[in-house]
Amino acid sequence: MSDEPVTGVQSILPEGTQPTPMLPKGLKRVPSGVDQLATEHLILNVGPQHPSTHGVLHMLVELDGEEVIAAEADIGFLHRGIEKLAESRRYHQMGTILDRADYVSGFHTETAFALATEKLAEIEVPRKASWIRSLVMELNRCASHYVWLGPVGMDAGAMAPFLYLMREREMILDVLEAISGSRMMFNYVRPGGVVRDLPAGIDAPLRAWLAIADKYLGETEDLLGGNEIFRARMKGVGVIAPETALAFGMSGACLRSSGIDFDLRKARPYCAYGEIDFDVPLGTVGDAFDRYKVRVEEIHQSVRIVRQLLDGMPEGEHTSKVAKALRPPAGEVYAAVESPRGELGIHLISDGGPTPYRLRLRSPAYYNLGVADELLAGGLIADMIVSLGSLDIVLGEIDR
Amino acid sequence: MIEGTGWLKGFVITFRNMLRGPITVRYPEHKLTLPERSRWAVQQRLNDDGSPRCTACLICVKECPDDVLYIETSAAEGGGKHIDRYVYEIGACMMCGLCVEACPFSAIEMSHEYELATRHGGDLVRVLLQDVDAASPRRERKGEADA
Amino acid sequence: MSLFLAILLRFVGLVALLLVNGVVLIYMLRKVLARLHLRIGPNRTGPWGLLQTTADVAKLLTKEDLRATPTDRLLFNTAPYLVFVPAFMAYIPIALSPVLVAAHLDTGPLFVFAVLSMVPLGVVMAGWASNSKWSLIGGMRAAGLQIAYEVPLLLSALGPVMIAGSLDPLRIVAAQSGTWLGFIPRWFVLPQIVAFFIYAIASQAETQQTPFDMSEAESELICGFSNEYGGMRFGFLYLAEFSNMFIASAVGTLLFFGGWQLPWVATPLWLAPIVFIVKVYIGIYFMMWARGSLPRFRMDQLLGFAWKVLIPVSLVWVVLSGVVIRLVSR
Repeated sequence: MSDEPVTGVQSILPEGTQPTPMLPKGLKRVPSGVDQLATEHLILNVGPQHPSTHGVLHMLVELDGEEVIAAEADIGFLHRGIEKLAESRRYHQMGTILDRADYVSGFHTETAFALATEKLAEIEVPRKASWIRSLVMELNRCASHYVWLGPVGMDAGAMAPFLYLMREREMILDVLEAISGSRMMFNYVRPGGVVRDLPAGIDAPLRAWLAIADKYLGETEDLLGGNEIFRARMKGVGVIAPETALAFGMSGACLRSSGIDFDLRKARPYCAYGEIDFDVPLGTVGDAFDRYKVRVEEIHQSVRIVRQLLDGMPEGEHTSKVAKALRPPAGEVYAAVESPRGELGIHLISDGGPTPYRLRLRSPAYYNLGVADELLAGGLIADMIVSLGSLDIVLGEIDR
Repeated sequence: MIEGTGWLKGFVITFRNMLRGPITVRYPEHKLTLPERSRWAVQQRLNDDGSPRCTACLICVKECPDDVLYIETSAAEGGGKHIDRYVYEIGACMMCGLCVEACPFSAIEMSHEYELATRHGGDLVRVLLQDVDAASPRRERKGEADA
Repeated sequence: MSLFLAILLRFVGLVALLLVNGVVLIYMLRKVLARLHLRIGPNRTGPWGLLQTTADVAKLLTKEDLRATPTDRLLFNTAPYLVFVPAFMAYIPIALSPVLVAAHLDTGPLFVFAVLSMVPLGVVMAGWASNSKWSLIGGMRAAGLQIAYEVPLLLSALGPVMIAGSLDPLRIVAAQSGTWLGFIPRWFVLPQIVAFFIYAIASQAETQQTPFDMSEAESELICGFSNEYGGMRFGFLYLAEFSNMFIASAVGTLLFFGGWQLPWVATPLWLAPIVFIVKVYIGIYFMMWARGSLPRFRMDQLLGFAWKVLIPVSLVWVVLSGVVIRLVSR
């Protein structure tokens, strides 16, 4: 060994050992270096049992003091093999597992699958079924955004908005339970339509929610976005440039907050969205605050959509006649919906049998989380938590 | 709004909410009513005379994605089927309601029994019917039409 | 009464005050936050859940005393006491009434701030000895925070002290009796409104509550420096935090809100402690309200706010009020 002072990784490894050459650059199992003050970098395991990883996400974070030098998302703790299980389920049974993929907005996955199957088997969907689907999807979008907005406030240290948003979410879940029979695992949208018609008397609780939704959300906006501390925490944090967003295949509010106008409801209208009037909010900077603003505005727009859907709900059948043992012809289709997290696609391959040959779920949060490694480095621990929260990840959907 | 007073407004809002009172209920004393379609534990629907409507056609057994239903049958004395046991493994049930949807005789339904926690593993497997003659499919269909 | 007995009596009195405060404050925090969160809060143990904290104390006391092997035994075991003892000592000069005080110190508020400045030492020790990265970061944050906010805290207390011309709690309170213009209570909060706000902010930071709960920012550091603690050791850390809340509010009451005196009317001696406690609890209610209403600062913003805003403002305010007091008293 030469007389040169030992620096870098060498200085903290036991004498005589070499850093494992197998480690690719940027993988943070060992500290990548020491700074000029010769202080050791810290490797911190954030999660999978951490209050702010929004599920069972594991983050490997390299810290210099409080500053995040590098971060890496480690997923897979909630893998249940949904795509493989789908290969042994008949088409009308699929809702039971797809609900469990994105467990905060099950209707979107269910509808995406129904749309794919209908495309494959060339099933005509009654107009009313489409409208009911849109209705429940928009309600579900609000519920999902509520349960994003609350925890993001908690990430920033504000506990109260979370509970206030739960109040509104509870109203929506009650409605969804009255419609579908379950609060989250709906199993309601099927190829050909929906299982049952809207129940009688669903109008009243829905209108009750519509009456307070904008007002109460406004209160939450004052509590979070109107608060100077919250703004200081969110502004300029976790900036995603439009090019980065596109390069990582991001979609949904994360993409729109970077200023790119892409919403499947407008770009490729499905269900009732072609007949509905609504705006797609866009961000300018692409920071965490923009993502907050875009999502809050999306709730306001969803309220608008629900109001229109409710007023114009057509009469008619809620489903078309579909064989129980559906055997779509052999073929391959892709159908996508705009879930609260982005483009949720189902790629379905059939070999003509009673179960799909292959089902692939394009889960938007998986692509949105991909940007984490880029996004989190350079901030403080507190920034990391807020940026990660602002992506709106749902681990059930990421790990599948 | 004057810049820099946003946090004060927050105080006003939280105070307003303090006056609104709790939205939670004290659970075992107060219970919320479930919507009519709520899906909880599967239960048998019986005729007025207490005989089952189940014809042991096994459609529900085949329909269940998680295989939580199990029916043992034998030949009944006067012809037809005899249900030895109708077993429901509630511990593995996800309450999707596919069995109830599939049943052509409306012999089972999703109950509103949601307090399902138990201390005994044995409670997780329920025997819904035991040692009874299955209903005749023809009679049951007719009963449906009358109703 | 012998001297020994007198000391013992005072000691027991202080411990009782601290413990009862801890129990009441934890219950109060839960109930206040529950109301704020549209919840009911504790409601099972005893009527209205009143015995909930008592049950918690019993649980903490009987819990197995766990210490992870890689922790530093000596430091780990001492740290909770190093946090708790200053919090306890800070009660000594708090005068509940002209006569009800453990020890009459001429330098009351100064003594309180001095002993409380020892708390970060215990916190850093707890963070370091835990041998956990989360605890370490939490401990370091707490130290940085408390050092930064002690300065404005002390400076903000200077205003009332200058008006009263004394550090003696009794004389500070006495100087606040009577009224201005016949109807405004002569409380120092009015002439010293800026100092009061600085005091309120800095004491919220001293007691480590949102928006300054850096050391145990639960969404970031899970539980901060007390991560590895369980049982009664955790109980001590927790109790110290709540007793600090009481101290902060009590000193604030003494300095800015006329201590044990009722406005406009003379306060009978027997009523004085009750008035004082009620005032303190109103102050604590406001602290809890702030805790429920505000998000948390980021560490660098927090330090920047202390060094770049609070300290310059309080320095200027001290000079200003010094000049004005001099002019008025002439």
